[in-house]
Amino acid sequence: MNVHPTLKSTLKALLYLSPALMIIGVFNIYPIIKSFAMSFYSDYDYFNDVVYERGLDNFIYIMKDADFWLAMKNTFIFVIGVVPLSIIISLGIALLLNTNIYLRGFFRTIFFIPFVTSVVAVSIVWRWVFHTDYGLLNYFLGFFGVDPISWLTDPAWAMPSLIILSVWKGLGYNIIIFLAGLQNINKQYYLAAKVDGATAFYRFIHITIPLLSPTTFFISIVSIINSFKVFDEVFALFDRRPGPVNSALTVVYYIFDKFYVEWEFGIASAAAYVLFIVIFLFTLIQLYIGKRNVHY
Amino acid sequence: MKRFLLILLTLALAISVTACGTSNEKTLTEPEPIANEESKEATSSEAQKEEEGLKTVINKPVEIEFWHAMSGGHEEALTKITEDFNASNEYIKVKLVNQGGYGDLSQKLMAAAKAKQLPAMSQAYEDWITEYLNNNLVTDLTPYINDPKYGWSEDELNDIVEVFRQANQWDGKYYGLPFNKSTRILFYNTDLLAEKNIEVPTTWEELRAAAEKITVEKDGKKIVGMGFENAFVHEFSTWAYQAGGSFVDEQSLEVKFNSAEGKEALGFVNGMIQDGVARLAGEDGYMSGPFGRGDVAMYIGSSAGIPYVAKAAEGNIHWSATVLPAGKKAATPFAGTNVTVFNSASDEEKLAAWQYIKFLINKENTAYWAEKTGYLPVRYSALNSDSWKAYVEANPVYGVGEKQFDAGFYDPRVIGMNAVKNAMAKELEAVLLGQKTVDEGIEAAAKEAQDALLKANKK
Repeated sequence: MNVHPTLKSTLKALLYLSPALMIIGVFNIYPIIKSFAMSFYSDYDYFNDVVYERGLDNFIYIMKDADFWLAMKNTFIFVIGVVPLSIIISLGIALLLNTNIYLRGFFRTIFFIPFVTSVVAVSIVWRWVFHTDYGLLNYFLGFFGVDPISWLTDPAWAMPSLIILSVWKGLGYNIIIFLAGLQNINKQYYLAAKVDGATAFYRFIHITIPLLSPTTFFISIVSIINSFKVFDEVFALFDRRPGPVNSALTVVYYIFDKFYVEWEFGIASAAAYVLFIVIFLFTLIQLYIGKRNVHY
Repeated sequence: MKRFLLILLTLALAISVTACGTSNEKTLTEPEPIANEESKEATSSEAQKEEEGLKTVINKPVEIEFWHAMSGGHEEALTKITEDFNASNEYIKVKLVNQGGYGDLSQKLMAAAKAKQLPAMSQAYEDWITEYLNNNLVTDLTPYINDPKYGWSEDELNDIVEVFRQANQWDGKYYGLPFNKSTRILFYNTDLLAEKNIEVPTTWEELRAAAEKITVEKDGKKIVGMGFENAFVHEFSTWAYQAGGSFVDEQSLEVKFNSAEGKEALGFVNGMIQDGVARLAGEDGYMSGPFGRGDVAMYIGSSAGIPYVAKAAEGNIHWSATVLPAGKKAATPFAGTNVTVFNSASDEEKLAAWQYIKFLINKENTAYWAEKTGYLPVRYSALNSDSWKAYVEANPVYGVGEKQFDAGFYDPRVIGMNAVKNAMAKELEAVLLGQKTVDEGIEAAAKEAQDALLKANKK
């Protein structure tokens, strides 16, 4: 179809888009603009919306705040811990589910359940799994002679616990996307490779991985963005605290604490903006890498 | 043409859907805004004409919301009192809204204040009220208390326990009234103590000695002598006062726990934890769980935990409770919240809220509340009533709290207390987990607390 855009057709498009635009405008665009403005309010009456003073104080404060840097560090550890692990495990499971195994539909459902279950419910169960004296995990580790680990109360283990929970929780979504990607790969390639005598390993490296790259690329972008924004899991797993000695304090938790608990609205907005810029930069880097390595 | 009509229809639908959404929300949360606005103007101009006494009259139905954070048995008791109130009132209807825990309640109140959707009244800690007062969100209840028609007599006011009255006054004006007040008490497992032939500890030394004696590992099961609730930051001031020190000065905004006494307090608790004779609630959330299982022989916790302990202990252990062991001094915090009324309510709603508060903490109800929950009766008359005395006789643990009135203190009501506690929590935890020494921890906590306090009060 070759239709030239006219005023009429543009208006029509806007009309169709308006419901979505309205919702995005109220819940996304407006808060983005407002929090940008708020990050520069150094003296602010939040309830009556009166600004007494504007400046860079909030940004200066977070740059000097050790907790903010701790939150940044923890968030990076979380991203590095969760994203690759989650992608590798879910790709493996997706490959298995893509073969003709018994009860395939059943397993697909099982793996998707964690994703659709509420984080709070999941965390309560995991809190029990992680329990030092009565937890399942330590019980199983006990068979291998591992001493009980204080998963949730030892600062050294808090982040690994959080990563385990998050990887497990995110698997279902990634598996579904990978499965869709795998099914889009034309079977002809595999047949041709077989004729040429390529082993399963070579078929995986030279057909599956390159042809799956758009899917992997999509998953890595979405996972990284989501991992940077981790909050619910921390809040629920550590019972409304950022882990022992702030060992699971993430940037969004920091923002939440500053905003809702300490009523430091400007600082929270400034921190939110710094996080936004970090995520933005990472996405740009990924797009750059993606352009060179993704085969469509 | 057909398509154009379809678009129009879709648009109309979209707009009407969103419009419905907003209007519904308004009617739900803001009952009759127009009518209220009018009557508010009418009454306030009337009030200007005649200065003595409230002129507000409730002669048509008023429904007010009371936001609270009570759950389980506590909520049941509150619901019962409220239903009694609603049944006895022709026009006033109080709707209880459970907002989750105290943290959730505080966050929702903040968001509601911004959205101008505050309820008529809510539970609130003293330092929340300070913050609300600073933002001009709460109503001065003094005119209601002193009102000849609706108010209390001098005796009725003075009947409220003095320390609770003090805690609810800011510059001599009441911005809250005590509702669910608790103290800390020492819970102990009678079987375990009797087994080792240990007297109930009354001093720090005895507490430590008892914990050491009880801590054992038998048949693979570990019993720890002493337990502490998780957020040690809320407990720290008690130990500091008991050591003879002080905490934070409300007037001068000075952080005062960086002292020999503060270090002694933290050192004592930390010593017990590091030596393995005491533990925190940890993953169990609250100490009532491990205590009820018999994993911990003694613990210090809120008197409001009595029903929870009773439930956890049932069929497992025998237990009792007593006053806190004393250090150089006896000290116990008065925790728990008050009720406060928000400015945004209309005059009718405020009066309705006041009528409800009067009912909520009258002699009978404060005693009923205390019997059901483990909180303290807030009136002397209730404490001295025969029925309460008989109840305490039969259930001695409920009488422990009131024995400590003389040793009671309340936390400083300063702006930024949350930031102070956040800053302290991290440092104190680092000490209890063995990452920092007591001296390092106290010094860092005091410095960060002082910075947070000054920052919050700079505005």
